Amino acid sequence: MTPEGSLLVAEGLHKAYGPTPALDGADFSIHPGEVVAVMGPSGSGKSTLLHCLAGIIAPDSGTVRYGPHTLTGLSDARRSALRRTDFGFVFQFGQLVPELTALENVALPLRLNGTKRKEAERQAREWLERLEVDTVAQQRPGELSGGQGQRIAVARALATRPRVVFADEPTGALDSLNGERVLTLLTDAARDTHAAVVLVTHEARVAAYSDREIVVRDGKVKDMMAGLI
Amino acid sequence: MSAHEERAANQGSGPDPGRASWARDLAMGLRFAVGGGREGWIRTALTAVGVGLGVVLLLGAASIPHILESRQARGDARVAVNGDRPVKRSSATLRYADAGTSFHGDPVRGALLRPDGPDAPAPPGVHELPHHGEMVVSPALKELLASPEGTLLRERLRFKAVGTIAEPGLAGPGELAYYAVSDRLAGEDGSFRIAGFGSRIPPRELPPTLLVLIIVACVVLLMPVALFIATAVRFGGERRDRRLAALRLIGADRRTVRRTAAGEALFGAVCGLLLGTVLFLAVRQGIGSVTVWDVNAFPGDVTPSPALAALVAVAVPLCAVGVTLVALRGVVIEPLGVVRSGAGRRRRVWWRLPLPVAGIALLLANGQVGTGGGTVDPYLIAGGAVLVLLGAVTLLPWAVEAVVGRFRGGPVPWQLATRRLQLSSGPAARAVSGITVAVAGAIALQLFFSAIQGDFMKVTGQDPHRAQQDVTLPSHDVATIREMVARFRTTKGVRGVIATIESTASRPGPVRRGEDFPPSTQVTVGDCASLGELAHTGPCKDGDVFVVKDSTGMVDTGYLFKTARPGARVLLNQDIRTGKPDGAPRTWTVPRTARVVGSRKDPSGQTAFGIFATPGALDTAALADPRARAMVRTDPAVADAAEYVRNTAARIDPLMDVRTLQNLERDKQFGSVRTGLLVASTATLALIAAGMLVTTLEQLRERRRLLSVLVAFGTRRATLGWSVLWQTAVPVALGLALALAAGAGLGLALLRTAGKDIFDWSVIWPMVGGGAGLVAVVTLLSLPPLWRLMRPDGLRTE
Repeated sequence: MTPEGSLLVAEGLHKAYGPTPALDGADFSIHPGEVVAVMGPSGSGKSTLLHCLAGIIAPDSGTVRYGPHTLTGLSDARRSALRRTDFGFVFQFGQLVPELTALENVALPLRLNGTKRKEAERQAREWLERLEVDTVAQQRPGELSGGQGQRIAVARALATRPRVVFADEPTGALDSLNGERVLTLLTDAARDTHAAVVLVTHEARVAAYSDREIVVRDGKVKDMMAGLI
Repeated sequence: MSAHEERAANQGSGPDPGRASWARDLAMGLRFAVGGGREGWIRTALTAVGVGLGVVLLLGAASIPHILESRQARGDARVAVNGDRPVKRSSATLRYADAGTSFHGDPVRGALLRPDGPDAPAPPGVHELPHHGEMVVSPALKELLASPEGTLLRERLRFKAVGTIAEPGLAGPGELAYYAVSDRLAGEDGSFRIAGFGSRIPPRELPPTLLVLIIVACVVLLMPVALFIATAVRFGGERRDRRLAALRLIGADRRTVRRTAAGEALFGAVCGLLLGTVLFLAVRQGIGSVTVWDVNAFPGDVTPSPALAALVAVAVPLCAVGVTLVALRGVVIEPLGVVRSGAGRRRRVWWRLPLPVAGIALLLANGQVGTGGGTVDPYLIAGGAVLVLLGAVTLLPWAVEAVVGRFRGGPVPWQLATRRLQLSSGPAARAVSGITVAVAGAIALQLFFSAIQGDFMKVTGQDPHRAQQDVTLPSHDVATIREMVARFRTTKGVRGVIATIESTASRPGPVRRGEDFPPSTQVTVGDCASLGELAHTGPCKDGDVFVVKDSTGMVDTGYLFKTARPGARVLLNQDIRTGKPDGAPRTWTVPRTARVVGSRKDPSGQTAFGIFATPGALDTAALADPRARAMVRTDPAVADAAEYVRNTAARIDPLMDVRTLQNLERDKQFGSVRTGLLVASTATLALIAAGMLVTTLEQLRERRRLLSVLVAFGTRRATLGWSVLWQTAVPVALGLALALAAGAGLGLALLRTAGKDIFDWSVIWPMVGGGAGLVAVVTLLSLPPLWRLMRPDGLRTE
């Protein structure tokens, strides 16, 4: 059953890599502005669920609906377009483009959306200020600390004002102090822009920043508030 | 003794700590290469395959002297020596006549033999002489004759093939050759008696300009191979550096990790050396079945010179160690990761620019040479060419860095590409260094070629538009000649025959004062169409006669008119030796109506003059010792017309000489050098393309995870595709610009050495276009792997 007012809904997702099932009938939903923590041990299928929800990979069966769109029925080009316009991403190691400066990295998704360079860089500068890393705007990722890099990655994810931010272990490579700062900035900024956040983590302290927690185990999803599998 | 003192004592007790630590670290590198898991093996395999391919070409190049020597020795051994003095007939002699032909443009070497007795010598490669009407053939000819393609040649060589010519009797395995035995060979058919085969023909010394060309060609072809090996040694370098960082974490110092890296590269290079040797031996076995640009060789011929092979065996591993150590100078491997210091340190031009300048100076220091003479110092020429091309290679990374550093803004693909180049232009510059050298060298060689080829091309004066084949008919009997001409006229694909019967006419009567012998001139009898090809006859009908003046000016018209003038009586059967009639005098009077006209070059480029008569005016039966020539016009629409003509000639007489008329004749040595260059440059270009492809794929693999992330946030394939294209195209454009400058500089210096001032710019653009085309092909080939790497699988490791 689809929860009323959900922005992104997945039902009965199955995905296997060879003989190994990663998702085995997983369901998921998220409301606009909601922060949902996806928890579970390593290899439980958290990242696969995130990739299916974001339309990065197609599930073997099941459906993913985003607003009026059924992602699983869209072509690769349409899904890519949705990711450019409506979704933002943060990964564990930031995965910034090493040859671009911090400013150019943040401006990149805007430019991919067709925004002019100067305008993209103006907006990117605002995000850098908001995430307190405007002093390193002209530095390249290799010259940044882990915490700075991850804040740049958050700024890049939010720059296009996405409706959903997918964060896959965003603090996995940071110390606790830096991790907490990054999470605070990410969730605050997301709530300000009314963006939903799918926060994949295996750390309970990270999940504390969420509105709701779900647990993935053996490819199945358990909603901790609903107590349902 | 304390533990600390004991350690110190142990450290100091080694025979040579420096050498020992080198050996230890190299050994550790070897262990890494062998036991480095899948990643380590992939890297070793990539290096080994790259180095192996380079080694195959180097060993091939090192075999060239032996290939040439072997071919020369076998060629000398089969020469039929026709000495100054005639050989006396005995049971150990034979008559020999060249009976070579050509088939579909390929030469067929052939000879007719007639043994004088049972002890007659057999040619090299022939175990036993066949009997009359039989022949022995080369394996390639045997195969051709047995195939449907050889049907027309089978009709020509109507001897029974009873054996095969073995390797000692052939220039190469693809050579078409035969020896046939015919008991019809006699003394007056062009055959001669020999007592054996074999003669040492001193090789013709190469003209200095050709020597310059060969030296530069060797440099141009081998430098990209050396560069390729240097690139191959660095395949997978970034992954290796990350593994070395782990070594630093457990206490290895910087020198240790460098030596370990050198050991790893050494292992890859040695594997490549072994793989290259095995590949070379395998390729060598199959080399006989491959003919590239008309060249092939026996496997045994392709044997590297021991000294050059030893040089390859030593230089390749040393190159691997050297290149690795130099490459690691720009990398700081720290315990927690790898820092490439290249981005921070700007490349300097001051030490790069003097290299090409010094190269040009060395080339000019050689002084001028020409086809006629001059001294070539191979060290100056080779050294100069190496320095110019090396200069282009060393200037390239500086040029790429200097130019891309100025790029700002632009669309996303352009920005991604130029920023990547700004961050690290070294790999991109290295990837195109091979093509830069190859194009620069090719430009220089083409400029040189186009300037000197005039010296090696002879204008024959023949006109292949008027006739395509020239046949000398062997008979002196007019009836037989007429029949032969008729057979050519009725041959398939023949549109016309310019046929003439020639003899001599002289002034009757005794020798006059001041004359050594009676004046004489040539008499040519033919139909109006044929005579019109030899002289400006104008309107002509059977029964007409012409007195043809020599328009070349070689023969004085006054002398000609002593014999050939309207109304003059001439003797048709003068004996040349005695000056008297041979039997009863046969005289003929040149009609008073004979017109005096100018001569015209015939299609074979010869000029005839004297008395030209149509058959209705002069009975050819009256001519003494008539000689006949036929020039055949073939129909271009009939594909095998030339072969039909040759078959008709062979049916009339297997020794009949059929020449194909051509207006230009290329010097054979020049042609061989040009062919050799084409063969070698084909192999080099294939190697360059393979190297570029591997380097591009290597760079893409390194960026696999980043590509997946870019795809995750919706980057279009086209954006990344264009970014890869720009990333390759920018260094290539700069590389080609440098190649243009270096190639033109080298070419100009070589032209000055050869004393030429012809500078043909038009030859440059195909080279530049070829280089750009090669890059386009490599980029296209790298797109499918790029699409595969853009799948989200790269994110699964997150």
